[in-house]
Amino acid sequence: MNLKDCHNFSDFRKLAKKKLPSPIFHYIDGAADDEITYDRNTSAFNDVDLVPNVLRGVENVDLSTTIFGKKLDLPFYLAPTALQRLFHYDGERAVGKAAQKFNTMFGVSALATVSVEEIASLVDTPKMFQFYFHKDRGLNDAVMARVKAAKFDVMALTVDTITGGNRERDLRTGFTSPPKLTMSSLFSFALKPMWGINYLTKGKFELPHLQDHVTEGTSTTTSIGNYFSSMLDQSMNWKDAEKLRSQWGGHFALKGIMSVDDAKRAVDIGCTGIMVSNHGGRQLDGSRAPFDQLAEIVDAVGDKLDVICEGGIHRGTHMLKALSLGAKACSGGRLYLYALAAAGQAGVERAVNQYRLELERGMKLMGCTKISDLNRNNLRFR
Amino acid sequence: MNLKDCYNFNDFRRLAKKKLPAPIFHYIDGGSDDEITLNRNTNAFNDCDLVPNILASVGEPDLSTTIFGRKIDMPLFLSPTAMQSLYTPEGDRASARAAEKYGTMYSMSTMASFSIEEIADISNGPKLFQLYVHKDQSITDDLIDRCRAANFDGLCLTVDTLVAGNRERDLRTGFTTPPKLTLESLLSFAMRPEWVFKYLTNKKFELANIKNKTDKGTNIAKSVMDYINEQYDPAMNWEDAEYCIKRWNGPFALKGVMSVEDAKRAIDIGCTAIMISNHGGRQLDGSRSPFDQVKAISDAVGDKLEIILDGGVRRGTHVLKALAAGAKACSFGKMFLFSLGAGGQQGVERALQNMHDEIRRNMILMGCKSASELNNSKIIYKK
Repeated sequence: MNLKDCHNFSDFRKLAKKKLPSPIFHYIDGAADDEITYDRNTSAFNDVDLVPNVLRGVENVDLSTTIFGKKLDLPFYLAPTALQRLFHYDGERAVGKAAQKFNTMFGVSALATVSVEEIASLVDTPKMFQFYFHKDRGLNDAVMARVKAAKFDVMALTVDTITGGNRERDLRTGFTSPPKLTMSSLFSFALKPMWGINYLTKGKFELPHLQDHVTEGTSTTTSIGNYFSSMLDQSMNWKDAEKLRSQWGGHFALKGIMSVDDAKRAVDIGCTGIMVSNHGGRQLDGSRAPFDQLAEIVDAVGDKLDVICEGGIHRGTHMLKALSLGAKACSGGRLYLYALAAAGQAGVERAVNQYRLELERGMKLMGCTKISDLNRNNLRFR
Repeated sequence: MNLKDCYNFNDFRRLAKKKLPAPIFHYIDGGSDDEITLNRNTNAFNDCDLVPNILASVGEPDLSTTIFGRKIDMPLFLSPTAMQSLYTPEGDRASARAAEKYGTMYSMSTMASFSIEEIADISNGPKLFQLYVHKDQSITDDLIDRCRAANFDGLCLTVDTLVAGNRERDLRTGFTTPPKLTLESLLSFAMRPEWVFKYLTNKKFELANIKNKTDKGTNIAKSVMDYINEQYDPAMNWEDAEYCIKRWNGPFALKGVMSVEDAKRAIDIGCTAIMISNHGGRQLDGSRSPFDQVKAISDAVGDKLEIILDGGVRRGTHVLKALAAGAKACSFGKMFLFSLGAGGQQGVERALQNMHDEIRRNMILMGCKSASELNNSKIIYKK
């Protein structure tokens, strides 16, 4: 199996599985507890049907949308995800350059493996930073200052990882950052020698936004669950979020909003966007799927800030459904992470291009030529 | 396994799978993307129950209905489908003859492997032609004029195929027209020597209706998806449809209408029928199934034009449910194509006979004397 055999999400996943040591593959692939929410994030889209309109003359389709004051050529972007150089040695560099090529946004995590300064020097298209609120206020201030200096466009505060989700696959495979060889994982690393060679020869593994302040994740191995539970500040509240927003001064979003009440409160504290997200099903299992919750939230705050639907998206038609309900844009992590693992920048580009083609085809078949043509008349819930 | 062992959709499908090279079987069997809509098209019928009336002195029920100005003996006919000679050398001739024998309608695709004239020569039965608006207007005009000259009864304009669906099975099997041997597909062709022998010893594969207008699909190995994307006009709009109606000046349907709004507009431009269809789940995956949508459309326009439900029909009871929800007739593609691949004309006859028997038996069990007695009172939706 090769990159050119990858026609969809499952194909990229399959190829990533072939290339990655199993603890790393399962870190991407896995979710919390019984993965009920993870599965629902995608299957929720099947409870609603698209109803096309015909004979609309659709030779030219414009997929552009504007979020956080930036015009993107695509109505989806690449969500911030941690530790990307574990998946491919180019990590965030590959993802950033691919996003730039399609003029869409991409997110850099506080747990990124390439620095915001380097990303800023490589990519001049819109960029988002994903902030984690640490107990160490010195770390928080330093990160905020660096992201500001690097002229990122959007600051997204993660609000759904106040403690680590129960990712049982990681418990079983012994996934840690940095990767640690254990008796049980030895075999799976030995089976993927190319990954090992790249990991050891393509530059040291680093967490450039954190390692001057904390050793966990770089010189001290930790699981991601433990990192969240021990390093992040569980007392974080709305006041802290508001303070961060004013400290940042620009477009500010809360990532991980699921209730209408919280969405309204996000408006009150001056957010310009929210990501309706359950962290890809990786935190609270049994929690509601973003798509299931989208309509209520759009109805309440859709005219006051940008509502992003994040999670479970595998297809262009999933995005069409979310946009029809009123999301301004969609985003996802696994959406491009398997492709990153499968083939670096070329993989991400292939994945993004496929979603673009699926969206364009879907728009034509729906009888729509621009994103604003999509609305709830296009949908029927079963 | 043999034709006489085929009692239902799955049997015909299984036999076709045995007889056809894999790329060809999967071209019929597959849908777009994740095939969610393909599956829903059939599953939708299960969310609705039939409610029989007893002691209705049914006697021999009348299965006939009238569409496109022609009376047909059963409320189910053959959907237009492309390139039937890939499934059996006789292709459209086999299906047209079978349809005539059962007094139902045969439909011809623009991309048929026999010409309008060839089929008119062998069949006096009801005939529908499925038109695609080509970028080259003269192709479209030529097709309409020839259908009139050949006494076709109706025309349907396909409106859900402005761009090809993402049929991933075809990407994987490398399906093209004419069939091309690739290393991957070689084995599946080699394992079906009977198909290969027939294919090579019969009339050369061609898209008979358009062969003089374009070399696409005949001289060059093209995937169907490439053909659609190159030849069909994505700018097609309501004026283009109206133009076709005027030029044809007879019973006319839009095939692929799914919204109530479009169904109303179809009346305004002079359609006499619509085919509620998502192209057998082969175009926009995640789109609504015909049966899920038929009642809403019928409530809005059922008294003003003929509603044909196309997609997901595998059982006589499916037809009954569709009629009860407001359709005037149903059409089916996959099932008759599998029967065509399984046994040529005889296969299609068997499929039609089976469906005829199922419809008849179930009309009796429902206590209905005629198709017109099937209405909303005979069904209950589960949710």
